[in-house]
Amino acid sequence: MGLRGYVIRRVAVLPVVLIGVTLLVFSIAQLFSPEERAALYVTSPKMAEHIEEIIVKYHLNDPLPVQYINWLSQVLSGNLGWSKSVNMPVSKAILTFFPATLELVIFAIPMILIIGVIFGILSAVHKDKAIDHITRFVAIAGWSLPTFWSAIILLSIFYGGFHIFPPGRLSPYFSQVVHSPDFIRYTGMNIIDGLLNGRLDVAWDAFTHLILPDLNLTLVIIALPMRIMRSSMLEALSKEYILAARAKGLSERVVVYKHALRNALIPLVTVAGSLTAGLICGVVITETVFDYYGLGYWAAHAATQLDIPAVLGFTLLVGVVYVVANLVVDILYAYIDPRIRY
Amino acid sequence: MIVIVIAGVAAYLAVTPAPTATPGKLNYTDLIVQPSKVESGKPVTVIAELANVGGSNVTETVYLYVNGTAEASKSVTVPPGESLNVTFTITKSAGTYVLSVGPLSKVLTVLPAIKNPDTIIVATIGEPETLDPAWAYDTASGEVIFNVYETLIAFHDGKTDEFDPLLATDWYVSPDGLTYAFKIRTGVKFSNGNPLTPEDVEYSFERAMVQDRDGGPVWMFLEPLLGIDSTREYNLTDPTIAAKVGHMIDDAVESNSTHVVFHLKRPYPPFMAILAQTWSSILDKEWCIEQGDWPGWKDYVQWVKYNNPETPPLQEKMMGTGPFKLDRWEHGVEVVLTRNDNYWREPAKIKTAIIKKVDEWSTRKLMFLSGDADIVYVPRAHIKELEGVPNIRVYKDLPTLMVSPAMFFTFDISSDSPYIGSGKLDGNGIPPNFFSDVNVRKAFAYSFDYDRFIEEALLGEAIRPANPIAKGLPFYWEDAPKYEYNLTLAEEYFKKAWGGEVWEKGFSLTITYNVGNLARKTACEILKYNIESLNPKFKIYIRAVEWPTFLRDMVKSRLPIFLIGWLADYPDPHNFVHPFMHSKGTFAAWQHYSNPEVDELIEEGISTVNATKRAEIYHKLALLYYEDVPSVPLAQPVDRHYERDWVKGWYYNPIYPGVYFYPLSKGY
Repeated sequence: MGLRGYVIRRVAVLPVVLIGVTLLVFSIAQLFSPEERAALYVTSPKMAEHIEEIIVKYHLNDPLPVQYINWLSQVLSGNLGWSKSVNMPVSKAILTFFPATLELVIFAIPMILIIGVIFGILSAVHKDKAIDHITRFVAIAGWSLPTFWSAIILLSIFYGGFHIFPPGRLSPYFSQVVHSPDFIRYTGMNIIDGLLNGRLDVAWDAFTHLILPDLNLTLVIIALPMRIMRSSMLEALSKEYILAARAKGLSERVVVYKHALRNALIPLVTVAGSLTAGLICGVVITETVFDYYGLGYWAAHAATQLDIPAVLGFTLLVGVVYVVANLVVDILYAYIDPRIRY
Repeated sequence: MIVIVIAGVAAYLAVTPAPTATPGKLNYTDLIVQPSKVESGKPVTVIAELANVGGSNVTETVYLYVNGTAEASKSVTVPPGESLNVTFTITKSAGTYVLSVGPLSKVLTVLPAIKNPDTIIVATIGEPETLDPAWAYDTASGEVIFNVYETLIAFHDGKTDEFDPLLATDWYVSPDGLTYAFKIRTGVKFSNGNPLTPEDVEYSFERAMVQDRDGGPVWMFLEPLLGIDSTREYNLTDPTIAAKVGHMIDDAVESNSTHVVFHLKRPYPPFMAILAQTWSSILDKEWCIEQGDWPGWKDYVQWVKYNNPETPPLQEKMMGTGPFKLDRWEHGVEVVLTRNDNYWREPAKIKTAIIKKVDEWSTRKLMFLSGDADIVYVPRAHIKELEGVPNIRVYKDLPTLMVSPAMFFTFDISSDSPYIGSGKLDGNGIPPNFFSDVNVRKAFAYSFDYDRFIEEALLGEAIRPANPIAKGLPFYWEDAPKYEYNLTLAEEYFKKAWGGEVWEKGFSLTITYNVGNLARKTACEILKYNIESLNPKFKIYIRAVEWPTFLRDMVKSRLPIFLIGWLADYPDPHNFVHPFMHSKGTFAAWQHYSNPEVDELIEEGISTVNATKRAEIYHKLALLYYEDVPSVPLAQPVDRHYERDWVKGWYYNPIYPGVYFYPLSKGY
């Protein structure tokens, strides 16, 4: 079976995965009483008086299979329901929050991976030397930082102290620009849309808003790819083919970057896939502190308020993102290691 | 400052050539700094007036010193007997400066540059639930709505009981309080250009009653106009009944070419205040119908299709007559309003108003300090962080129309409650009717340290009401009797309770509060500490639960004691005594508190027009509340408003849902 067959098979499994995860979420939600699930619609004592009517209105008391089938048939007809926690349709919420997070992650992931790989290699090649100790220390320190704390510190220094890199996604002026009728929103990602509209100023403004959240993500996550890169590099360097390569008289540079790196990359690719998927689905704290509201923020709010349609919509999205991420990783394996065939 | 002045003068003396013994003599007669308060980067003119009082020409270099350092100089020659003005123009960044020329000094205050001069940005938490005025019942929605839509009448500035004409120019209330007639303003246009007509007004109120969503604000029309709390008190699935209710709604509000008339089922003194709030916003009928909303009275059955919809028909769209138009609502980010340039009054001074949702306090604070936000919501726990910060303005002690929290006793606790231990008076629990004994309630009321609570939990930012008729409401009674913290009296009443059994056997119960509400947590702890100190057999456990669980147990009467607050719907005591005291009221129903005398007085209070008689009724109710102690109000919070000092025109009205942008501008 070729790669195409493999991809088709993996995509075909997707609906099964989605039904499985949503059914699970649905069942968990049923552990809460109808009154608890109605709490989402009740924000004042006066509204609480009408809780019984609200339960009936939103069918919160129907048996689980009935509720699930109702939801499923709605989804199949293209209606993901209403997200009460943000007061808009779930599909619109996804379209609103997904591009923001995607933009954040698209810039963060290369930064995290490139820096991680470079320092991982340096660390491995110079094992137990000063550079190894320093990079490991810095990485672990970053990893140990509470995300909200490092975020607030970064914001206080750069925005509070130097008045650069403000929170939010755009400055008020450019926010007006991107919402004006002349500006076409192709992707919802401001940098890309700015470039496509020929508005470099918009792209630049959006970019300056991305720097701090991405820096924060890099700071707290960098240890992961770095340490994986280091250990897999060390392992690769101890292999016999490396010894053979060195015996051939190849330069250390060629040995490391041509022979060892390729083999050492496999574990990193695995992690990179789930890391990307993980970031897309949940950078709650970074998004909150930098006033950069995306998917993670929405999902966390929806979950704490028992906004079940939102959580289900999010679950669907997460299912798709993970399946796609794993698929990409599998394809990359074959590219990196020609021995892997599907 | 003095040091700087002295330094300036000293520097002057050191640098300026000493007058020579020529007959010419130069006096520095005046120093003018224009303006003396200026925005950073804007030019300041400094004029030094010199007079030659001697007999021959004087040539001199005049220096301008800023904080003791020479900043500019000009060489001048003044003929004898003449005066000369030497003018310097300088620009400075924010700060305070002492300007000296010759022996004269003046202070110049340079204020930070105004960011976004024609935009007001509010950084706050939360965001609107909807932009549909008939659906909206939260302050965040109300804030947007009352800047875009308008009502027939408006509260007069900061007052809650005086009204200004808005879309109505004049009104008439019949002496029996059953008919309200309003003359509708002419020449007003919605922002789409459609003219405002009395028919639009009739449509707006009828549409609201047609919509009447569960838990929405429309009961405030239904109660006075139809004498019901919800349209679904009738079986609307029956077409005959639906038609009857349709006719009732149609007949309640009528319009002709100039006027709109409301026919009330019973007198309802707060009706005017209800008409001045966002649920009474006037919509453009034609536009609403274009949006697929209720089409009006084609027949009297079809309206049921528009009753209690799952989502608001005008969720994201607005078309009002107000000073602003909705530019966009970017969910989770901001609501942007732009000036309505065709407004029937003078257009607003600012072009744009932005309400930004910034949940994280540190971020909000940084935005405020850097001037990127003009008005900011400051949680009580953080008020200290802004003390002494320059260039901001704080309004303190703003009274709210809110009793929050109050401590409610459940007279008949549901027997499936997990919070009453054994369910018996055996020392390991309480019987479900534990609080039906007034002695128990009084003992609890005396056990609470009110002052400490306000000091610790609310940082002193509250006053203590005696009863639900909070300060700021009509018929408020300043000296109404209230329970003070007194453990001796508490002990006395505990000994009387249940014929002495409570004191002898002891009891155990659990109080819950919703997670994250630190004030309520503190209240629970104070109560626990004080009551347990009275008798070692008294046990109170505190449990934090999520809001959904708290809510479930509260509405199912499972909580022996619950702490919750009440925010005014409209500024009238009825809106407080009903939920707190009427057997069918919000809280009293969950508590199973019922006193027929109280119910009767409340009904009488709301249907009495005469203010003197009403005052007597609410006075009696205050006394009955004290005797019965169905609940104890713990605090009426006072609020604060924080703005940059370049914001002009803000004023406080406790019933406003948020910032009214129309009078605001920016400048120094």
